[in-house]
Amino acid sequence: MNKLQLYRLLVAQQQIKNARHPMFDKNRFMKILMWFMMLYYAAILVFLGSFLPLALRGVYPGVAAFHVLDGFLVWLLIVDFYARLSLQETPVQQIRPYRLLPLRRSFLMNIYLLRSGFSIGNVFWWFMLVPFGAIGVLPLLGWGSFFLWLMGWLLVCVANGFWYLFCRALCMKNLLWILLPLAVHGGLVALMLLPDKNPLDMPCTRLMYGYANGNILYIMCTLGIIFLLYHANYTLQMSMAYNEVAKKEDVELKSATQMNYLNRWGALGEYLKMEVKLRMRNSQVRMTFLIGISFILFFSIVQYFSDVYSGAFMTSFICLYDYIVLGLMTLVSIMCFEGNYMDGLMARRESIYALLRAKYYFNTSILVFPLLIVLPLIVTGKASLWMHLGYMSMTAGLLYPMIFQMAVYNNSTLPLNQKITGKQGNTMQQIIGMSALFLPIGIEKILVLLLGNVWGYVMLMAIGAAGMATHRIWLRNIYNRFMARRYVNMDGFRASRNT
Amino acid sequence: MKIIVDNLKKTFGEKVAVDIEHYEIGDGDMLGLVGNNGAGKSTLFRLMLDLVRADGGRVLMQPSEAELSAGLASGTVNVSLTEEWKDWTGAYVDESFLIDYLTPDEYFQFIGRISGRSDDDVEVFLGDFEQFMAGEVKGQKKLIRNLSAGNKQKVGIVAAMLLQPKVLILDEPFNFLDPSSQSAIKHLLKDYNSRTGATVLVSSHNLQHTVDICPRIALFEHGVVIRDIDNSDGQAATELENYFEV
Repeated sequence: MNKLQLYRLLVAQQQIKNARHPMFDKNRFMKILMWFMMLYYAAILVFLGSFLPLALRGVYPGVAAFHVLDGFLVWLLIVDFYARLSLQETPVQQIRPYRLLPLRRSFLMNIYLLRSGFSIGNVFWWFMLVPFGAIGVLPLLGWGSFFLWLMGWLLVCVANGFWYLFCRALCMKNLLWILLPLAVHGGLVALMLLPDKNPLDMPCTRLMYGYANGNILYIMCTLGIIFLLYHANYTLQMSMAYNEVAKKEDVELKSATQMNYLNRWGALGEYLKMEVKLRMRNSQVRMTFLIGISFILFFSIVQYFSDVYSGAFMTSFICLYDYIVLGLMTLVSIMCFEGNYMDGLMARRESIYALLRAKYYFNTSILVFPLLIVLPLIVTGKASLWMHLGYMSMTAGLLYPMIFQMAVYNNSTLPLNQKITGKQGNTMQQIIGMSALFLPIGIEKILVLLLGNVWGYVMLMAIGAAGMATHRIWLRNIYNRFMARRYVNMDGFRASRNT
Repeated sequence: MKIIVDNLKKTFGEKVAVDIEHYEIGDGDMLGLVGNNGAGKSTLFRLMLDLVRADGGRVLMQPSEAELSAGLASGTVNVSLTEEWKDWTGAYVDESFLIDYLTPDEYFQFIGRISGRSDDDVEVFLGDFEQFMAGEVKGQKKLIRNLSAGNKQKVGIVAAMLLQPKVLILDEPFNFLDPSSQSAIKHLLKDYNSRTGATVLVSSHNLQHTVDICPRIALFEHGVVIRDIDNSDGQAATELENYFEV
């Protein structure tokens, strides 16, 4: 078999892997929804690309619209970086099935690194850039510059993709590396927001203008950066692939926390300990949790230092988001991590009910974290205490009961320590997730409109308190329905284990 | 605890995994299940543990008079209709029974506490398994997922027995174990059965071990018990060897 044939075989197997995932395969709605969402975002980008040149011309008269857009390069790259989180797999994960076969690892690594780095996703921004450039660049600079400008954007997206892959691989080695992109992006955001004038605006504009004019130096420098990032990825991920084969894992647990203070709750306390350990000892669960906290921190910092989210809708949305993000990221897929040991749980009497209660208490108690994070905003008057208490209470008493319903329907096991790609999930998860994000804002707006600012939020708190007070009743109901569906769910958990 | 399998059927597509008209496992019996791959042994265990839906039929657990008077059970139970049987049943089928991000000690403690057993009680119980665990399981600061396959198997078996169940179900308990541990578990199971009067079900591809410990052996083929062999005199080996000889 020559290299081209091998390449084709590997690509075909990759496609089969995705298409035959148990959940992806049987969930037609998910496939349709994914395409719909792609089209939806593409349409938004096309709209933005068509509308922005005219809008920017009005806001910044005398400045070419593309110069203004180019000034937002760093913002777009930060968004681009985090959008890759759920979609892009690292090569070291992809070569795992082949690592002991008689295939050159360097060949495999190059294939997957190139496919990952130069994936079609890099041109997704073109849905915005092509119409934008057609209106804002083409009439001013001509076809050549228009094309070069688009290619320039593509190059920086490719470089950003390799930077993402590098950070992702580092995080697989040690989760603390998550601080690297957070520090870099946090620093860039601070640099762009804190001074009166964004100091990165002009360099970005010059860079993109340089591309448009075919500035060889700029293009070569960008290609050089891509090459360096490629090489860094190659070296890092090859060493990780070798380490996996000659696995010498640090298997000694440094400290096994006892959490004796939970003993007073008997069996329930044991399930609570399990919840804590699930997050502490499994990289994928821990990562999800930390990303949730990072989002809260990010939005709080932006809210603190700028007025970007100071509109009525965005203030409510961010406030809700602060409380629901952790629940959305972990509870929408409730029981999916437990799918790894579901048979063991099901062999114990009412263990699922105890587990559900433990999950509810744990997730309700961690709502205090977002409140602590936004405390400076509340103290400085940038956020309303009533609003935060209202949303916190509603999250525990209304949104959690809604999201916990997923325990009845989820039946796809998620790996505890491997990256989860965006191809998993089911219809109900999408619907519940969307509802949890937007329904409460509608309720809040109606209550505030009818009862005023303070009493509206007091009513939100009352709704939440009612949900919390009745938690045993609705958790028992969920448990009973879970048991009624147990065979279907257990079949699903078994089928999707280790896929 | 007596187990009654009544008209039990399970198919996967065209393939018949289990088709048992009537089969009884007496109170205190120690039954060995043998058969080739795909014969239906593990599926039968999963049906007995209510982990898969039966296409027809039922599995009943019938307590003895002594168990009834001791208040262990309220009466005969159908495993798919109630969870009561989980109080007196211990099982280990595969790794999906293990919470692999706990250490073995944490896992034993977890199982003990959710079953209402005191930590001291659990410690005393685990003392009987010292030789079986050979110093490689207990007291280790390793997560279960980082243990060898054999040691994971030991954790699963010990945890299943930790409840001191009236029904003990072990699927391929000799797999992955070194010869010393295989010998140890044979003694432990025999001793447990004779000491507690528990009903013990063991499936295995190791005919010798099965013959050594099980006075009764059910031979499976295509989901059907084709022979119910009395091994009280230890003479089943020849019959089984003849059957499996190619």
